Amino acid sequence: MTSQEKNFFQRLVSNNIDWYLVVAVAILIGISFTFIYSAGANYEMSFRYLSVQSLAASIGFAGLLLLTSFNYQYYKHLGKLVYALSLVLLISVLVFGSVKRGTKGWFDFGFISFQPVEIARIMYILVLASFLDSKAKESKRVSFLISVFALLLGHLALIMMQPDFSSTLSYFPVTLLLLFAIDVEPFYLLCIIVGASLAVGIPLIGTFFDMQLKIAQNEIFLTNIALFLKNGSVVIYIVVLVLVLIMSGWGFLWKLKIRISIVYPVVLCGAIVLGCASSVFVEKSLKDYQRRRLVVFLDPQVDPRGSGYNVIQSKIAIGSGKFAGKGFKKGTQTQLGFLPEQHTDFIFSVIGEEGGWIVAQLTLLFYLFFIWRALVIAKEARDRYGSLVATGIATMFAFYAVINIGMVMGMTPVTGMPLLLLSYGGSSILSSLCAIGILCSIHMRRHTYS
Amino acid sequence: MAWQREDRFAYENFLEKHKIILAFFILLFVCLSIRLFYLQIVKGNKYKAISEQQRLHNTNEYAPRGVIYSSDNKVLVGNEFAYVALYYPPDGREKISDETLKELGRILGRDIKPKADNGNKYGRVLKLADNLTKEEMFKVREQNLRLRGITVAREPRRVYPIGEASSHVTGYTSEIKAEEIEELSEQGYKPGDYIGRGGIEQTYDGYLQGKSGGWQIEVNARGCRVKASKYVRPEIGAAVYSTINSKIQKAAYDALKNSDSDKGAAVVLDAKTGAVLALVSCPGFDTNKIRRKEYSKYLKDKNLPLFNRTLQALYPPGSIFKVVTFAAAVEVLNLDPSEKVLCTGKFELGDRHYTCWHKPGHGQLDLIHATAQSCNIYFYQLGLRLGVKNLENFSKKFYLGRKTGIDLPNEKRGFVPSPEWKKSNMKMKWLQGDTVIFAIGQGALWVTPLQMAHMMSAIANKGICNKPYAVEKVIDVNGNELYRRKAENGEKIELSERTWSLLHTALLETVESGTGKRCKFKDIKVAGKTGTAQNPQGKDHAWFISYAPADNPEIVLAVIVEHGGGGGVNAVPIGRKIYETYFNIGSETEYNKESAR
Repeated sequence: MTSQEKNFFQRLVSNNIDWYLVVAVAILIGISFTFIYSAGANYEMSFRYLSVQSLAASIGFAGLLLLTSFNYQYYKHLGKLVYALSLVLLISVLVFGSVKRGTKGWFDFGFISFQPVEIARIMYILVLASFLDSKAKESKRVSFLISVFALLLGHLALIMMQPDFSSTLSYFPVTLLLLFAIDVEPFYLLCIIVGASLAVGIPLIGTFFDMQLKIAQNEIFLTNIALFLKNGSVVIYIVVLVLVLIMSGWGFLWKLKIRISIVYPVVLCGAIVLGCASSVFVEKSLKDYQRRRLVVFLDPQVDPRGSGYNVIQSKIAIGSGKFAGKGFKKGTQTQLGFLPEQHTDFIFSVIGEEGGWIVAQLTLLFYLFFIWRALVIAKEARDRYGSLVATGIATMFAFYAVINIGMVMGMTPVTGMPLLLLSYGGSSILSSLCAIGILCSIHMRRHTYS
Repeated sequence: MAWQREDRFAYENFLEKHKIILAFFILLFVCLSIRLFYLQIVKGNKYKAISEQQRLHNTNEYAPRGVIYSSDNKVLVGNEFAYVALYYPPDGREKISDETLKELGRILGRDIKPKADNGNKYGRVLKLADNLTKEEMFKVREQNLRLRGITVAREPRRVYPIGEASSHVTGYTSEIKAEEIEELSEQGYKPGDYIGRGGIEQTYDGYLQGKSGGWQIEVNARGCRVKASKYVRPEIGAAVYSTINSKIQKAAYDALKNSDSDKGAAVVLDAKTGAVLALVSCPGFDTNKIRRKEYSKYLKDKNLPLFNRTLQALYPPGSIFKVVTFAAAVEVLNLDPSEKVLCTGKFELGDRHYTCWHKPGHGQLDLIHATAQSCNIYFYQLGLRLGVKNLENFSKKFYLGRKTGIDLPNEKRGFVPSPEWKKSNMKMKWLQGDTVIFAIGQGALWVTPLQMAHMMSAIANKGICNKPYAVEKVIDVNGNELYRRKAENGEKIELSERTWSLLHTALLETVESGTGKRCKFKDIKVAGKTGTAQNPQGKDHAWFISYAPADNPEIVLAVIVEHGGGGGVNAVPIGRKIYETYFNIGSETEYNKESAR
């Protein structure tokens, strides 16, 4: 045993590792294995699912230990190299990868396949944190923002070429929250959010009205509004009207001697115009079924046998679990195949149905506890880089959890994002554990001085 | 603990943002928890119900209907079990394969086409073939492995042991029609249920219906059967004990069927209670075979086999109405029975001629002999003396023109004419000629055979009217009595004792020496009246109404042979057959002796 390794294990034992975090993760993985086993019973795949998942989890734990022992600060200095590596990973999957469910995003090793985007996502957090840390002083500049979005765009473009829409989603909250943490003017972030919601919202509202129209032929009021909005020039008029209102509002405040820099209204208007313009591209890049899946949660009954089916069945599964649940392997929705994608994206429905409210709520609490520990690590880190990386990782987990659990309960769009640490999927458990390894590494070195 | 290289200000700034981020995440998780609580605790019962509903399907197994017994403890209507081949999609296969269909067709030796729209009846189950015999059922079960998903189920079917003879009194069953279901669904009937039509099957349908049972089946998301979870035994309907005597019913039907014209009706009542012992309408229809094809054949038949002549057919009563004229004359005119009238065979009224059925004339006749010989001239003259008002009143007294209230469906009320009716409907004045033919039961007077039997029962009981009924009691499968008939008397016909005894003497004389002598027995005194109703559409209808024994009446009967000709020749022998059956008398010998005389 070399002295360095000895040193590492000594540190583990001497409470330098965050046992709260590790125990929370262990409990979540325990819950995950239990319900993946149950969900697989319907297809008689329990054993296969469980063996694949435990293999991936063991590799993940090895990675966790390795990354824990590795000093995270090296990543900061190797930022450019890590970014280049992630791009190579994403490009090579486009060249050598195999296609699964219409997405060219997998390296197939025969018995096991691997999705590089899961690792690229964590690499992106490391790169972004490194960039933000080095340029922290320039955070008020617009050029700074632009270079951050250039970094982001590199990954997004390559992922959309697979195409894998749902994997790109986590990039936005991570980027925004890290910018927020680094003290970027919140107003700019708000503008970005407005622009992005316009870009995605306009095509989705159109889709939603289309679906409503199909079932509500008689409602003249709704029909008229929908037809009115579908007319492209009307949208342009509305946008121009909003822009004029913003500028005149600024002028009015100026007259009242409330002096606000002209930059703000101009940036807001720019964001609105950009958002509306990019909505055209979003509309083209999203397939029809994807758009329908994104809006159907608002009213699943508009398409109960098609895009609304998953949400309806998932809500029935969770609701019918009631307080105590139907019991392990006794969930009728799960075992009779009413629940779609039950071992992957809809694993939380299985928990809700078979475990009832108690287990589901406990799972939620453990998850929140885990995210809280990650944020504590961010607070206690010895440098800004460590804090940013930990915040980014916490954001990633939180965002995935909220979108996924919200989806199975009919609150958020059906995006196809897994519930990290709980859903079946080798790549996702592996990369999650690696991310937790980085968290441990940050935690372990909080008292180290250099 | 703080950042080592960066300035303190930056770290504090970060801590501030950190707090906001943490609060934001906690808020999101609180939202998720609220939603979780709402779905599972607040709406839990609703979602539980939905999940059960989409998981469990019920297959319907029809319950047999209740048995209908005759008063002599025979089964009038029973059940047998037919087998039907059903297809329930097994796991993983929605549609039945052509091979399976061909194989089943080969085994059963018929061409099988699954009906497309039978979904409502068996749920998701597809009915492939019905009316399988036991042998076929075993064959299909033996080939179980090759016929995947095909099961054989029991389906009850009605059996009518005396079929045609009891067809109108029992009625039959058939599937509820689409246009009826809306109205009947309120009473708990479902599409595909069988419902009684006509006769006891219809009136007592509510008791006869059983409670259907079946399997509760768990299905998966594709609608395929996973396992059967619960079985509810179908419960047979309540047993109905009718007053029908199967022997008399059968004898009366056979007698009518073998008469010259095979159309007619017979009603036999218990004189003391009004219980219907037999209710025969000829021709009948085979209730065992009444399916779609046969039904349309029966509908097209010119002899109207589906028509219940006992309650629904309206006939002119002809001479049997003379009993009413008789009663009215004795009661109102206080007629001296010994007063004689000369019958020359002809009767003139104004410029019209009316004849007696006995062309040469009966000569001098008193009341009793005029009735026994059914002399028209005598009664024309009585009619004129009585006037139309008295005839009308007495008709109504004897329940003509109104329903008897029997517990069988579709009874007709008949019709009693009156001057007012003629004026308002035909815009014509009531003439004396109308009164004359009214007195011998012709004209616009219409009666049902049941009304005639009911009238005779009132005469036999000296005015006490028992409401006719066909069902005594209903007892369910656990032995509880659900229904028992309450004795119910109609309004009593108040006539003097003298009138009743004169009428009884005249009716007895009719059988002893008059037109009804073909029904004379050695030991039993029979009273009766024959009739030959003129029928503008064809040959006369032959009537016979009677009761026996004359001194203590037990049974009452009314017989009509449609287009049968003379009542004395054609209807009376049928009445005789009924008496022979009831009193259990060895037949032909007595009859031959009588006719030899």
